[in-house]
Amino acid sequence: MQHLLATLSLGLLIGLAPVSTGQAQSGPAPAAPPPQMVKVSGEIVDTWCNVSGLMFGLGTAHYQCAVWCTLGGIPVAIRDKDGNLFLILKIENDDLAVNSPRLARFQAHEVTVEGELLERDGVKYLLVTQVADDKGVINMTHAEHGIQPFGQ
Amino acid sequence: MRIVGLSLLLLVAALLPARAADPWGIAGEKEQVVIGQVVDVLCHLKKDCPANCGGGRRQLGIVDAEGRLRMVAKGQVDFANAVPDLLAYCGKRIEADGLLIENPVITLFFLQRIRHEGSADFQPAERFIQEWTARNGASSEWFRDDPETKAIIGEVGPLGIKGLVPPPQ
Repeated sequence: MQHLLATLSLGLLIGLAPVSTGQAQSGPAPAAPPPQMVKVSGEIVDTWCNVSGLMFGLGTAHYQCAVWCTLGGIPVAIRDKDGNLFLILKIENDDLAVNSPRLARFQAHEVTVEGELLERDGVKYLLVTQVADDKGVINMTHAEHGIQPFGQ
Repeated sequence: MRIVGLSLLLLVAALLPARAADPWGIAGEKEQVVIGQVVDVLCHLKKDCPANCGGGRRQLGIVDAEGRLRMVAKGQVDFANAVPDLLAYCGKRIEADGLLIENPVITLFFLQRIRHEGSADFQPAERFIQEWTARNGASSEWFRDDPETKAIIGEVGPLGIKGLVPPPQ
């Protein structure tokens, strides 16, 4: 937890404060916790290949496989420099998170995004509100790892 | 007597929740039958709930008896998740036979077989390829023949950068 907080501290944005919209009838209702807004930088990856370790799941070597996996519905995540994975459930009001051509076209890109972080049962979920930067594919891994997983 | 004994054995076997999934040798994997309710993950977390768990647009999970949300990331078809298999059970209780992968950075579930809670037969989690074939025709490698994967790879190449040439094999 401390590690995560340290990772996010640089990008931590101001959370939205709860807004009172009416008068309390019989005491204040329990306020929902404010959303945890974060800025995350890293590489777009497909979760399965990255976690399973069955192939080299980063950069140019894995680009084609990552496109296949994304269009096969495998969840997409951002992997930060510390190896944390932030699983994307929504991107800029678009809730298409399965077989998404938009997410497929993002694969292996180095990005910085802002959004809401939700942690639950071992997963960091991210609702992306804005893609602040997109450097494209810059992680050149193909010279060492070829094209994963079939070589073509 | 023998027939009664055999019948009882079959009945017990059918009602047992546990059926060993196929191990894949992934670090942190554990064969497990998750029993719980199929949920739209975004709905479960944010109470943003379209009909029918998003109708295939959203990632799906299983909430088990302890209230833990298990994120399903993979089904039995190569390079594909099990959203179509789970979607058929949206909001219902199921038994999901597969591998729980507890990686230090993320916990994911690899669904291999699925059935209604308490029903007799597990079905392999391969509805993705059935639906894909119905849309596109038969293929031994759906991922190479999918119109959208072909369009993207055709546009930027297999390395993701237009003009970048793959190394010789």
